[in-house]
Amino acid sequence: MKITAPHLGNVYIAAQALFDGLGIEYIVPPMNNKEALEMGSLFSPEEMCLPYKIMIGNYIQAIEKGADTVLLPGSCGPCRFGKYAEMQMNLFKKIGKEIGFIVIDSPGDIGIKELFKRINRISRNSKRGKIGQFESLLKAVKIMNILDEIEEKAHYLAGYEVTSGECKRLLNSCKREALNTNNPGDMIRVLEGYKRKLDNVKIDKGRNPIKIAIIGEIYTIIEPFSNLFVEDKLMDYGVVTKRRLTPSWWVKDTLLKPTKLNSLKLKRNAKEYLALGIGGHGRECIGEAVLAHREGFDGAIQIFPLGCMPEIVSKSIFPTISKERDFPIMSLVVDEMTGEAGFVTRVEAFVDLLERRRKNVLSRS
Amino acid sequence: MIVGIPKGLLYYKYYPFFTNFFNELGVELVVSQDTNKDILDEGVNYCIDDACLPVKIFHGHVAVLKEKCDIILIPRIMQVRKKEYICPKFCGLPEMIKNTIPDLPRIIDKPIYAFSRKKLYTWAKEAGSMITKDKNRIKSAFNYAVMEQDKYRLGFNDKSQQLTVALVGHPYNIFDNYINMNIVKKLKRLGVGVITEEFLEDNLIDEEIRHLYKKPFWTFARNSYGFASNVYRKNLVDGIIYISSFACGIDSVVIELIKERIGNFPLLILKIDEHTGEAGLDTRVEAFVDMLGRGLR
Repeated sequence: MKITAPHLGNVYIAAQALFDGLGIEYIVPPMNNKEALEMGSLFSPEEMCLPYKIMIGNYIQAIEKGADTVLLPGSCGPCRFGKYAEMQMNLFKKIGKEIGFIVIDSPGDIGIKELFKRINRISRNSKRGKIGQFESLLKAVKIMNILDEIEEKAHYLAGYEVTSGECKRLLNSCKREALNTNNPGDMIRVLEGYKRKLDNVKIDKGRNPIKIAIIGEIYTIIEPFSNLFVEDKLMDYGVVTKRRLTPSWWVKDTLLKPTKLNSLKLKRNAKEYLALGIGGHGRECIGEAVLAHREGFDGAIQIFPLGCMPEIVSKSIFPTISKERDFPIMSLVVDEMTGEAGFVTRVEAFVDLLERRRKNVLSRS
Repeated sequence: MIVGIPKGLLYYKYYPFFTNFFNELGVELVVSQDTNKDILDEGVNYCIDDACLPVKIFHGHVAVLKEKCDIILIPRIMQVRKKEYICPKFCGLPEMIKNTIPDLPRIIDKPIYAFSRKKLYTWAKEAGSMITKDKNRIKSAFNYAVMEQDKYRLGFNDKSQQLTVALVGHPYNIFDNYINMNIVKKLKRLGVGVITEEFLEDNLIDEEIRHLYKKPFWTFARNSYGFASNVYRKNLVDGIIYISSFACGIDSVVIELIKERIGNFPLLILKIDEHTGEAGLDTRVEAFVDMLGRGLR
């Protein structure tokens, strides 16, 4: 069995570590690219959301590299993501490509037995014992956590670095080197090394950079290709960015969901504007915006794919938050037609606006 | 006290419950008029542009009602069946309205879980307490309203014509004649009878959704799929017309699933938004009916 999984930010690095540890062959789909998106849009229903289309591209390119099974998390919430698996299965049957699907749904919806059966389809291919398998899983989770930490730190320090571009360079070479290892232990060592390197980046504490929170639909903010690398661009401008939704946050949130103790802080902050969960991460998005304002950020950028139902609700709440708290929020909608130039212009204009608000240029004139 | 009920979204399906409930509580009721151009314009004006047409129209109904009443009902219908939802926008509907339309009167926006009588009564208690303190009155009004709702039969089941089509889609697209531009009448004029999902028994839908890998978690998606699949398998109709609003997330999934199930069976998808021209719609419907007619010969 050759497993593959769709891209979501840096998850592929942790997935590689997991399957290296389990001794199962794992095919990383080629990094998200234009061709994948074009192929994905060709085979997907027109009104489907962007993540679906990119994922289809990932699978097709992974099949070309020899993958035969897709691993995909599921959900049964009101958001469309829960139906991805079924539609993708139908699609591949229709276009005549052989590929199996293993969908990891929450036990509340499919029953714990079915969940174990599905997990067993993967684990029976592993030569390692149950304890060894569990160990690899823990290590993969640890890797994901360190990766998210490194990324968060790099995004933060980018606003303070003395040599501009250093954080970005470190972040990129960190990912590259981590992928070149072939067992989880080595990978953790490499990552820890980079974490230390980031701590030693020369910074200018006197600087007061613009701070922007990146909020919105989880896939489009985590997967840099889908948001046209907005975080990298902001790093280039020397802007501090913070994104609360990360893969490790998602894992924690999903595990804690049955106890209703997940992301209490976000829920508490969202309460004033949206007291109920509406599916997807709509409520979290509101909470993040309020929290960003409380933490002294200059503004927030909301990113979501065209037609994303929960984010449309949060978008209609943002004008009130903006007005009441004097906090600029820009909404950007992405789909397969998004042009880079238009996108960049808007991001730049937004950064300019935040800068001007600080210096009170407008009131002076 | 005057309670306003906007005639949008699921009003068509559940109005006997809401109107009778408030009537029995002894308040005056205003229901907005049928959807028209002005209401649509108001809605487009206030609502954010990413939303779908029915949600925009609902905004319009609220906007024309807001000055005519003291309390306005914005039903936050979370669930009508267990473990199923309607659409994320329904769960956040009061927020969408509150944050886009200024100078609103008081709002009844308590969440409605209508999958059991007990759960629905929780809503009735909360909503009723905004109007009267008399608990017995709320209870009897609630019982009466539920009874009236149970008696209510919605939908079309016209098999008398030469051709029959199944009209599939969200209820607000099928029963709001402004949204669908009087499609039922148009079809009748062309000699086509219409049947809708309301005349299919619930257990038959369950039978159909067994074809799916995963149970649909949207109630109306489940109904649409089950209905389309049933009429196809039993060959009850000559074709299927699906009315879908542009950018509807749920439709984008259900239509794909239906297509997958029915293969080459005639299916017409009518996409509607605020720019849809009537001539274009007519042409497509006529062409579809012509095609079905040729199949007969």
